[in-house]
Amino acid sequence: MRRPDLKQSLGRLLGPLEPEVGCDECFALLDRYVELELAGRDADAELPGLRAHLEGCPACREEHESLRALVGGEQAL
Amino acid sequence: MDACTVLLEPVKARPNLSLVPSPSALDDDSRDWLRGLRSEGLEREETVERLHLLLLRAARFEVARRRPTLPHLRGNELDDIAHEAAGDALMSVLVRLDDFRGESRFTTWVYKFALLEAAVKLRKRAWQGREVPLEPETWGLFESGGAGPAREAFQGELIDAVRDGIAQLTLHQRQVLVALALNGVPIDVLAERLESTRGALYKTLHDARRALRAYLASRGFEPEDWI
Repeated sequence: MRRPDLKQSLGRLLGPLEPEVGCDECFALLDRYVELELAGRDADAELPGLRAHLEGCPACREEHESLRALVGGEQAL
Repeated sequence: MDACTVLLEPVKARPNLSLVPSPSALDDDSRDWLRGLRSEGLEREETVERLHLLLLRAARFEVARRRPTLPHLRGNELDDIAHEAAGDALMSVLVRLDDFRGESRFTTWVYKFALLEAAVKLRKRAWQGREVPLEPETWGLFESGGAGPAREAFQGELIDAVRDGIAQLTLHQRQVLVALALNGVPIDVLAERLESTRGALYKTLHDARRALRAYLASRGFEPEDWI
Protein backbone atom coordinates (compact mmCIF):
# COMPACT_ATOMS: atom_id res chain seq x y z
CA MET A 1 0.00 0.00 0.00
CA ARG A 2 1.35 3.42 -0.91
CA ARG A 3 2.30 5.45 2.14
CA PRO A 4 0.50 8.80 2.37
CA ASP A 5 2.59 11.82 1.59
CA LEU A 6 4.39 13.20 4.64
CA LYS A 7 3.06 16.70 4.11
CA GLN A 8 -0.44 15.34 3.68
CA SER A 9 -0.16 13.50 6.99
CA LEU A 10 1.30 16.55 8.74
CA GLY A 11 -1.36 18.78 7.22
CA ARG A 12 -4.09 16.55 8.61
CA LEU A 13 -2.39 16.57 12.00
CA LEU A 14 -1.64 20.29 12.20
CA GLY A 15 -4.85 21.56 10.60
CA PRO A 16 -5.64 24.75 8.73
CA LEU A 17 -3.65 27.87 9.52
CA GLU A 18 -6.45 30.26 8.62
CA PRO A 19 -9.14 31.31 11.13
CA GLU A 20 -11.99 28.83 11.07
CA VAL A 21 -15.49 28.43 12.41
CA GLY A 22 -16.45 25.49 14.63
CA CYS A 23 -18.62 22.51 13.70
CA ASP A 24 -21.85 24.01 15.01
CA GLU A 25 -21.51 27.21 13.03
CA CYS A 26 -20.40 25.24 9.99
CA PHE A 27 -23.66 23.30 10.15
CA ALA A 28 -25.64 26.50 10.61
CA LEU A 29 -24.08 28.09 7.52
CA LEU A 30 -23.66 25.07 5.27
CA ASP A 31 -26.89 25.40 3.28
CA ARG A 32 -26.18 29.02 2.43
CA TYR A 33 -22.54 28.25 1.59
CA VAL A 34 -23.52 25.51 -0.84
CA GLU A 35 -26.10 27.66 -2.59
CA LEU A 36 -23.54 30.48 -2.94
CA GLU A 37 -21.06 28.01 -4.42
CA LEU A 38 -23.59 26.59 -6.86
CA ALA A 39 -24.60 30.11 -7.87
CA GLY A 40 -20.98 30.83 -8.77
CA ARG A 41 -20.60 33.44 -6.06
CA ASP A 42 -17.59 33.89 -3.77
CA ALA A 43 -18.83 31.79 -0.87
CA ASP A 44 -15.50 32.05 0.97
CA ALA A 45 -15.63 35.84 0.96
CA GLU A 46 -19.25 35.93 2.10
CA LEU A 47 -18.81 33.28 4.82
CA PRO A 48 -15.21 33.53 6.00
CA GLY A 49 -13.82 30.73 8.10
CA LEU A 50 -15.98 28.00 6.66
CA ARG A 51 -13.60 26.81 3.95
CA ALA A 52 -10.79 26.47 6.50
CA HIS A 53 -13.07 24.43 8.74
CA LEU A 54 -13.98 22.12 5.88
CA GLU A 55 -10.27 21.54 5.32
CA GLY A 56 -9.72 20.73 8.99
CA CYS A 57 -12.83 18.67 9.75
CA PRO A 58 -13.37 15.50 7.69
CA ALA A 59 -16.92 14.95 8.94
CA CYS A 60 -18.14 18.44 8.03
CA ARG A 61 -16.26 18.18 4.73
CA GLU A 62 -18.08 14.97 3.85
CA GLU A 63 -21.43 16.52 4.66
CA HIS A 64 -20.57 19.58 2.57
CA GLU A 65 -19.71 17.32 -0.36
CA SER A 66 -22.97 15.43 0.03
CA LEU A 67 -25.13 18.54 0.26
CA ARG A 68 -23.41 20.09 -2.72
CA ALA A 69 -23.85 16.89 -4.73
CA LEU A 70 -27.51 16.53 -3.76
CA VAL A 71 -28.52 20.13 -4.42
CA GLY A 72 -26.27 20.45 -7.45
CA GLY A 73 -27.76 17.29 -8.90
CA GLU A 74 -31.28 18.64 -8.48
CA GLN A 75 -30.36 21.91 -10.14
CA ALA A 76 -28.86 20.02 -13.07
CA LEU A 77 -32.18 18.25 -13.75
CA MET B 1 -6.94 35.07 22.08
CA ASP B 2 -6.25 34.77 18.38
CA ALA B 3 -8.57 35.01 15.42
CA CYS B 4 -9.11 31.25 15.34
CA THR B 5 -10.42 31.23 18.87
CA VAL B 6 -12.75 34.12 18.17
CA LEU B 7 -14.21 32.35 15.17
CA LEU B 8 -14.58 29.11 17.06
CA GLU B 9 -16.75 30.87 19.62
CA PRO B 10 -20.46 31.06 18.77
CA VAL B 11 -20.87 33.90 16.30
CA LYS B 12 -22.99 36.61 17.84
CA ALA B 13 -21.60 39.55 15.94
CA ARG B 14 -23.23 38.75 12.62
CA PRO B 15 -26.45 40.69 12.85
CA ASN B 16 -28.09 39.02 9.88
CA LEU B 17 -27.94 35.59 11.47
CA SER B 18 -30.60 36.27 14.05
CA LEU B 19 -33.07 37.95 11.74
CA VAL B 20 -36.25 36.08 11.06
CA PRO B 21 -36.85 36.45 7.34
CA SER B 22 -39.81 38.45 6.27
CA PRO B 23 -42.22 36.46 4.10
CA SER B 24 -41.26 38.57 1.11
CA ALA B 25 -37.61 37.50 1.50
CA LEU B 26 -38.48 33.85 0.91
CA ASP B 27 -38.86 32.13 -2.42
CA ASP B 28 -42.35 30.80 -3.20
CA ASP B 29 -41.51 27.19 -2.50
CA SER B 30 -39.94 27.93 0.89
CA ARG B 31 -42.93 30.09 1.80
CA ASP B 32 -45.29 27.24 0.93
CA TRP B 33 -43.33 24.81 3.10
CA LEU B 34 -43.39 27.13 6.09
CA ARG B 35 -47.07 27.91 5.68
CA GLY B 36 -47.94 24.22 5.51
CA LEU B 37 -45.80 23.30 8.51
CA ARG B 38 -47.23 26.15 10.56
CA SER B 39 -50.83 25.36 9.64
CA GLU B 40 -53.09 22.98 11.52
CA GLY B 41 -55.05 19.84 10.81
CA LEU B 42 -54.91 18.00 7.51
CA GLU B 43 -52.77 20.60 5.72
CA ARG B 44 -50.06 20.29 8.34
CA GLU B 45 -50.23 16.50 8.35
CA GLU B 46 -49.86 16.38 4.58
CA THR B 47 -46.97 18.84 4.63
CA VAL B 48 -45.19 16.88 7.35
CA GLU B 49 -45.61 13.72 5.29
CA ARG B 50 -44.19 15.44 2.20
CA LEU B 51 -41.28 16.69 4.30
CA HIS B 52 -40.64 13.21 5.63
CA LEU B 53 -40.47 11.84 2.09
CA LEU B 54 -38.07 14.62 1.10
CA LEU B 55 -35.83 13.83 4.07
CA LEU B 56 -35.98 10.13 3.30
CA ARG B 57 -34.80 10.82 -0.23
CA ALA B 58 -31.85 12.84 1.12
CA ALA B 59 -31.00 10.15 3.68
CA ARG B 60 -31.06 7.47 0.97
CA PHE B 61 -28.81 9.68 -1.15
CA GLU B 62 -26.25 9.73 1.67
CA VAL B 63 -26.58 6.00 2.28
CA ALA B 64 -25.97 5.33 -1.41
CA ARG B 65 -22.85 7.52 -1.40
CA ARG B 66 -21.42 5.65 1.58
CA ARG B 67 -22.50 2.17 0.59
CA PRO B 68 -19.05 1.16 -0.73
CA THR B 69 -17.60 1.78 2.74
CA LEU B 70 -20.13 -0.58 4.33
CA PRO B 71 -19.93 -3.77 2.27
CA HIS B 72 -21.03 -5.92 5.21
CA LEU B 73 -24.44 -4.24 5.44
CA ARG B 74 -27.33 -5.56 3.39
CA GLY B 75 -29.67 -3.35 1.42
CA ASN B 76 -32.55 -3.62 3.88
CA GLU B 77 -30.23 -2.70 6.77
CA LEU B 78 -29.07 0.36 4.88
CA ASP B 79 -32.62 1.37 4.11
CA ASP B 80 -33.54 0.95 7.78
CA ILE B 81 -30.75 3.40 8.59
CA ALA B 82 -32.09 5.81 5.97
CA HIS B 83 -35.59 5.61 7.49
CA GLU B 84 -34.22 6.13 10.98
CA ALA B 85 -32.16 9.11 9.81
CA ALA B 86 -35.16 10.63 8.04
CA GLY B 87 -37.29 10.26 11.15
CA ASP B 88 -34.68 11.88 13.38
CA ALA B 89 -34.11 14.64 10.84
CA LEU B 90 -37.85 15.32 10.69
CA MET B 91 -37.93 15.82 14.46
CA SER B 92 -34.91 18.14 14.28
CA VAL B 93 -36.42 20.22 11.49
CA LEU B 94 -39.79 20.60 13.21
CA VAL B 95 -38.13 21.59 16.49
CA ARG B 96 -35.83 24.08 14.76
CA LEU B 97 -38.30 25.50 12.27
CA ASP B 98 -37.94 29.00 13.70
CA ASP B 99 -34.18 28.80 13.09
CA PHE B 100 -34.75 28.82 9.33
CA ARG B 101 -33.58 32.25 8.30
CA GLY B 102 -34.39 32.07 4.63
CA GLU B 103 -30.73 32.38 3.67
CA SER B 104 -31.11 29.34 1.45
CA ARG B 105 -34.05 27.51 -0.02
CA PHE B 106 -36.03 25.58 2.58
CA THR B 107 -35.29 22.28 0.88
CA THR B 108 -31.52 22.91 1.00
CA TRP B 109 -31.84 23.80 4.67
CA VAL B 110 -33.69 20.59 5.56
CA TYR B 111 -31.48 18.36 3.42
CA LYS B 112 -28.50 19.04 5.65
CA PHE B 113 -30.36 17.60 8.65
CA ALA B 114 -31.05 14.34 6.82
CA LEU B 115 -27.51 14.10 5.46
CA LEU B 116 -26.07 14.72 8.92
CA GLU B 117 -28.28 12.14 10.60
CA ALA B 118 -27.52 9.52 7.96
CA ALA B 119 -23.79 10.24 7.94
CA VAL B 120 -23.49 10.06 11.72
CA LYS B 121 -25.43 6.79 11.90
CA LEU B 122 -23.34 5.24 9.14
CA ARG B 123 -20.05 6.32 10.70
CA LYS B 124 -21.10 4.83 14.02
CA ARG B 125 -22.27 1.66 12.30
CA ALA B 126 -18.95 1.31 10.49
CA TRP B 127 -17.10 1.51 13.81
CA GLN B 128 -19.54 -0.63 15.79
CA GLY B 129 -17.61 -3.12 17.87
CA ARG B 130 -14.23 -1.66 16.93
CA GLU B 131 -11.78 -0.34 19.46
CA VAL B 132 -11.22 3.41 19.24
CA PRO B 133 -7.44 3.92 19.34
CA LEU B 134 -6.42 6.90 21.44
CA GLU B 135 -2.66 6.36 21.24
CA PRO B 136 -0.46 6.67 18.16
CA GLU B 137 -0.51 3.47 16.16
CA THR B 138 0.49 4.78 12.76
CA TRP B 139 3.76 6.64 13.23
CA GLY B 140 4.80 4.92 10.01
CA LEU B 141 2.78 7.57 8.20
CA PHE B 142 5.37 10.06 9.31
CA GLU B 143 8.48 8.20 8.34
CA SER B 144 10.73 10.31 6.21
CA GLY B 145 12.67 9.02 3.29
CA GLY B 146 13.34 9.09 -0.42
CA ALA B 147 14.14 12.78 -0.63
CA GLY B 148 17.92 12.74 -0.29
CA PRO B 149 20.06 12.65 2.87
CA ALA B 150 19.75 16.34 3.78
CA ARG B 151 16.00 16.45 3.25
CA GLU B 152 15.59 13.15 5.05
CA ALA B 153 17.51 14.44 8.05
CA PHE B 154 15.39 17.59 8.15
CA GLN B 155 12.17 15.59 7.93
CA GLY B 156 13.41 13.34 10.71
CA GLU B 157 13.98 16.37 12.94
CA LEU B 158 10.52 17.68 12.09
CA ILE B 159 8.87 14.34 12.91
CA ASP B 160 10.77 14.14 16.20
CA ALA B 161 9.57 17.65 17.04
CA VAL B 162 5.98 16.66 16.20
CA ARG B 163 6.24 13.66 18.53
CA ASP B 164 7.72 15.82 21.30
CA GLY B 165 5.00 18.44 20.77
CA ILE B 166 2.24 15.85 20.97
CA ALA B 167 3.76 14.48 24.19
CA GLN B 168 3.47 17.95 25.74
CA LEU B 169 -0.26 18.31 25.12
CA THR B 170 -2.76 17.63 27.87
CA LEU B 171 -3.96 14.02 28.01
CA HIS B 172 -7.37 14.96 26.60
CA GLN B 173 -5.88 17.07 23.80
CA ARG B 174 -3.45 14.28 22.94
CA GLN B 175 -6.13 11.60 22.84
CA VAL B 176 -8.45 13.72 20.69
CA LEU B 177 -5.69 14.80 18.30
CA VAL B 178 -4.28 11.31 17.93
CA ALA B 179 -7.66 9.62 17.49
CA LEU B 180 -9.03 12.13 14.98
CA ALA B 181 -6.02 13.37 13.05
CA LEU B 182 -3.65 10.42 13.28
CA ASN B 183 -5.76 7.31 13.63
CA GLY B 184 -8.68 8.44 11.47
CA VAL B 185 -11.44 7.88 14.03
CA PRO B 186 -14.62 9.70 12.89
CA ILE B 187 -15.41 12.60 15.20
CA ASP B 188 -18.96 11.38 15.85
CA VAL B 189 -17.65 7.97 16.90
CA LEU B 190 -15.16 9.55 19.28
CA ALA B 191 -17.84 11.89 20.64
CA GLU B 192 -20.03 8.90 21.47
CA ARG B 193 -17.19 6.99 23.16
CA LEU B 194 -16.06 10.02 25.18
CA GLU B 195 -19.66 11.15 25.89
CA SER B 196 -18.91 14.48 24.26
CA THR B 197 -20.12 16.37 21.18
CA ARG B 198 -18.69 17.01 17.75
CA GLY B 199 -18.42 20.72 18.48
CA ALA B 200 -16.64 20.24 21.80
CA LEU B 201 -14.20 17.71 20.36
CA TYR B 202 -13.39 19.91 17.38
CA LYS B 203 -12.65 22.80 19.74
CA THR B 204 -10.24 20.52 21.61
CA LEU B 205 -8.70 19.42 18.30
CA HIS B 206 -8.32 23.04 17.24
CA ASP B 207 -6.61 23.96 20.52
CA ALA B 208 -4.33 20.93 20.29
CA ARG B 209 -3.34 21.77 16.72
CA ARG B 210 -2.63 25.36 17.67
CA ALA B 211 -0.49 24.26 20.65
CA LEU B 212 1.39 21.82 18.45
CA ARG B 213 2.03 24.45 15.76
CA ALA B 214 3.28 26.83 18.46
CA TYR B 215 5.61 24.14 19.76
CA LEU B 216 6.99 23.52 16.28
CA ALA B 217 7.54 27.26 15.87
CA SER B 218 9.47 27.31 19.15
CA ARG B 219 11.70 24.58 17.69
CA GLY B 220 12.37 26.69 14.63
CA PHE B 221 9.93 25.08 12.19
CA GLU B 222 7.75 27.22 9.97
CA PRO B 223 4.41 26.39 8.33
CA GLU B 224 6.24 26.18 5.02
CA ASP B 225 8.00 23.11 6.40
CA TRP B 226 4.81 21.07 6.46
CA ILE B 227 2.52 22.76 3.95
